[in-house]
Amino acid sequence: MNPLNAVRPWFSSRMARWLENRLPAVNQIRLGRKNIFILPTASGFLFLGATVLIFVTAINYVLSLAFGLAFLMTSLFILCILYTFRNLQHLRLRGLGADPVFAGEDAAFVVSLEPQERQAHEMLELRFSDAAWSHADVEAGEPLRVRVFLPTQKRGELRAPRLLVQTRFPLGLWRAWSIVDLAMDCLVYPKPEPCKLPGYRGQGSSGSAESQQAGVEDFHGLRAYQSGDSLKQIAWKNLARGQGLTVKQFVDTLEDRWMLDWNMFPGLPSEQRLSRLCYWALRLSRQPVDYGLRLPGVELVPDRGDAHRQKVLRALALWQGGEA
Amino acid sequence: MTEQTPRLTLWWLLAAFALVVSPHLLRLPLGVSVLIGACILWRVFIFQGRISFPGTTLRMLIVFLSLPLTVLSYRGQGAGLDAAICLLILGTSFKLLEMRQARDMTIVLCLCYVLTMVGFIYSQTIPAALLALATVVVITGALITLQRNNGHSSLRSNGGLALRMVAQSIPLTIALFVLVPRVAPLWSMPIPVPSSKTGVTDEMSPGDISRLSRSAELAFRVSFDADTPSNEKLYWRGLVLDFFDGRVWRRAGSSFQSFDMIERFRSPFRGETLGEEVSYDVILEPTQQSWIYALQLAQFNASDIVQDRYYTLHTEKPVSQRYRYQVRSALDYHTDVSLSGVLRARAMQLPEDDNNVQARELASELRRGNPDDRDYALQVLRYFREQPFYYTLTPPPLGEASIDDFLFNSLQGFCEHYAGSFVYLMRAAGIPARVVVGYQGGEVNPFEGYTMVYQYNAHAWAEVWLENEGWVRFDPTAAVAPERISMGVQAVLANQPGFLEDSRFSMMRFRNTQWLNALRLRLDAMDYAWNRWVVSYDEDMQLDLLDSLLGPQMRGRLFLVLGVVIALFFLVAAIFLLRRREQESRDMATRLYLRLAADLADAGMKRGRGEGPQDFCQRLARQEPRYASDMGRITEIYVQVSYGPQTQTERHEQLLQELQLRIRDLRLRVLSPLRRLRLRMLPIRY
Repeated sequence: MNPLNAVRPWFSSRMARWLENRLPAVNQIRLGRKNIFILPTASGFLFLGATVLIFVTAINYVLSLAFGLAFLMTSLFILCILYTFRNLQHLRLRGLGADPVFAGEDAAFVVSLEPQERQAHEMLELRFSDAAWSHADVEAGEPLRVRVFLPTQKRGELRAPRLLVQTRFPLGLWRAWSIVDLAMDCLVYPKPEPCKLPGYRGQGSSGSAESQQAGVEDFHGLRAYQSGDSLKQIAWKNLARGQGLTVKQFVDTLEDRWMLDWNMFPGLPSEQRLSRLCYWALRLSRQPVDYGLRLPGVELVPDRGDAHRQKVLRALALWQGGEA
Repeated sequence: MTEQTPRLTLWWLLAAFALVVSPHLLRLPLGVSVLIGACILWRVFIFQGRISFPGTTLRMLIVFLSLPLTVLSYRGQGAGLDAAICLLILGTSFKLLEMRQARDMTIVLCLCYVLTMVGFIYSQTIPAALLALATVVVITGALITLQRNNGHSSLRSNGGLALRMVAQSIPLTIALFVLVPRVAPLWSMPIPVPSSKTGVTDEMSPGDISRLSRSAELAFRVSFDADTPSNEKLYWRGLVLDFFDGRVWRRAGSSFQSFDMIERFRSPFRGETLGEEVSYDVILEPTQQSWIYALQLAQFNASDIVQDRYYTLHTEKPVSQRYRYQVRSALDYHTDVSLSGVLRARAMQLPEDDNNVQARELASELRRGNPDDRDYALQVLRYFREQPFYYTLTPPPLGEASIDDFLFNSLQGFCEHYAGSFVYLMRAAGIPARVVVGYQGGEVNPFEGYTMVYQYNAHAWAEVWLENEGWVRFDPTAAVAPERISMGVQAVLANQPGFLEDSRFSMMRFRNTQWLNALRLRLDAMDYAWNRWVVSYDEDMQLDLLDSLLGPQMRGRLFLVLGVVIALFFLVAAIFLLRRREQESRDMATRLYLRLAADLADAGMKRGRGEGPQDFCQRLARQEPRYASDMGRITEIYVQVSYGPQTQTERHEQLLQELQLRIRDLRLRVLSPLRRLRLRMLPIRY
């Protein structure tokens, strides 16, 4: 319907290409004449409207001082360009990347705002395209880290889009902005999907609610209470029957080596398989077990620890189909 | 940007609004002023949580009630500007009550700018300009608070920034003021309804002029192109009053003396100038009357002034603003050498039921010895001089036959008494004569050389028509009190009760205190310069000034000049504001290091003057071995970052981060517990 709609994709691609040339992706950038844009805001136009009204009245009633007021406001308006521009100028932006997140969560990209020794930058607003605004007040000479959020949808390596940095300080009449590509990536793990693992019968040493549920079947026996035992493990029924304070004991009936395999969830779409594997990788990482991962074309031998967990999750995030 | 109204902004905004309406409060109808005050208070209460925002019904009710209130208050004054301004102010105050978002506040602040201008419709004096300037600073401050994080807002930071911005805008403002072409009004608008008429009126009854002498208000200022003529030549002619009803002198046929009528039935100029002319420039204070003052015989080049057959100058509209005009006057002249029948008849008119019998007898008695008109007039003046007449501001009230009562009973009077009875005696002897009202004399400001004429300079005198000479000025007051004319009215009346009575606090009353008098004259000189160069700055002055500044060839290129000036301002401001201040990241290391050094010094480990980082580190290691390893690494990084070869940026950053963390750790160990706590609470910034 709207004739603009036809032009819009063409326009935005031209715009993107132009920006690509003008502001290529860099890890850090200093804002200056070449990369700051500035235009009046709606308030700015309102202010101009008031100025014009005053000017016209000055003409009609031949009011010299009203001319003066209109000119003072014009000068303020012009001066405000410089003040607003200055509020971004010389600010160094450095993309520090983001910690990995699971798909569906917000990726928090950390941007370091580094001012000069004696230049403060007030009321900076940052965001990625349509995501939420982050605000920052940068004191002179005090670098500041800001987290800018970006919703994630699917796993993989997420390239942060261009970051909009803007300010309307001090009078709100002008908006100065820059859209910089700080070449930041965020690793997005698959969204964990709870499910049953074939062959897994649970165990219950962690005391977490889920493991207790899972561990009901694995009840092994009772032993006398020792100080330090979890309250959740106390056999309350036995206590009520007057059998003394005893603790339910769960015995690990499982192997302590697991291989999370692509073929454990036959017939499911690959993304869902990855989500389920992710869930179990997380779950097993909390147990004192070794676990490995087998995807088409990827094989990680069972191991445990943080580094291993990250390796597994990374593999899940980045798996590209392999031979399957 | 937060859409909630920042709390601090509200105070700034209310202050701005209060400043904006303050000059109007006394002028507005009482009900309206009260309503405005109520709106401000209400808003404060909303802020304090005592009252909630008014509901839609209540808002509608207020708006619909205020409309008739305004209309009623300004009833009978026409749909004037005053009423419109009143509504604008009321509307803005109502907006206070429904202002919830930042956007609403911006709108109100823009309205405040407009209202600041509205003040100039009523007053363009220096105090008004200063008040407006202060208002602009406050409004701008309010705009700043709107953009600022509350944590960064303080009265000083916001006010300081606003003040700085306004101050930095002033050079361009002045340039624009001088250079932007002044255009003629686009369409004609009704000028403000006259508030009150001041100065000489178009009627003269006993006591009218003496009432003016109670006032030390300024009537007008004159600057002569050449030397100022002596005091006794300064008869500022206003109106001619030629109709006498036995008590009051009026204008005959005054309905024909409007600008339009005079313009339409323009009579041929009957004057003849003799000798030299003086040129001068008058700035008249608003009188709300449509005639202006000049020395006889006046000529002018302005299209908005006309001269009637009495040689009175009229303006197109009542003078409601300070009005500036230029006149040439020939102090020697002949007017109406051949007198028209109508004017002659008017100049001979006497009241029909005239009961001034004694005065008529006196006239015929004096006339008997002086058949020549001029001799007779001089004889009457001699009579005033020789009889024990007394020049006073507070004469006793006169009876039914006012002329007789004055001439033979009280013998006390002010200029209107003398002028009135003199003209009566002329007419009674069959000589055409008339009363002229205006001002006489003036005070020369020694600082600027212009002449100030005050209300107490108001005066009435006579014009007598003589064969072959036309109208000749006679001033009977001069016969009674010659020093009134030669030395000025204040010299004669200063000690009389009633003089300047209405201006009790005027500085004029302290003219005998040397420094106060000098201050008064200085202030007036300032005000005069302000009016002459700022308030009445117009197209002509602009062209003159530009010609003398840039040369006449630049006339057509005003916009070019304007563009250059704006660009120049922008450039200078940009250089000043946007200059690079200091090196960035590399200095960071030094800053961190110096901070550590300061803390170490506080803990008793002072770095010697001129002691290098490495020397300091070695000494410290010996002195305090427990810090040796930390300090060693810090010094190593610091030296590498600051003095080492240019490393890769990323490596540099890593080093800086490490430096920061290590310095923080060491400081935490060195600091006193209290300051340690403070440092812990600071976020790690890098």
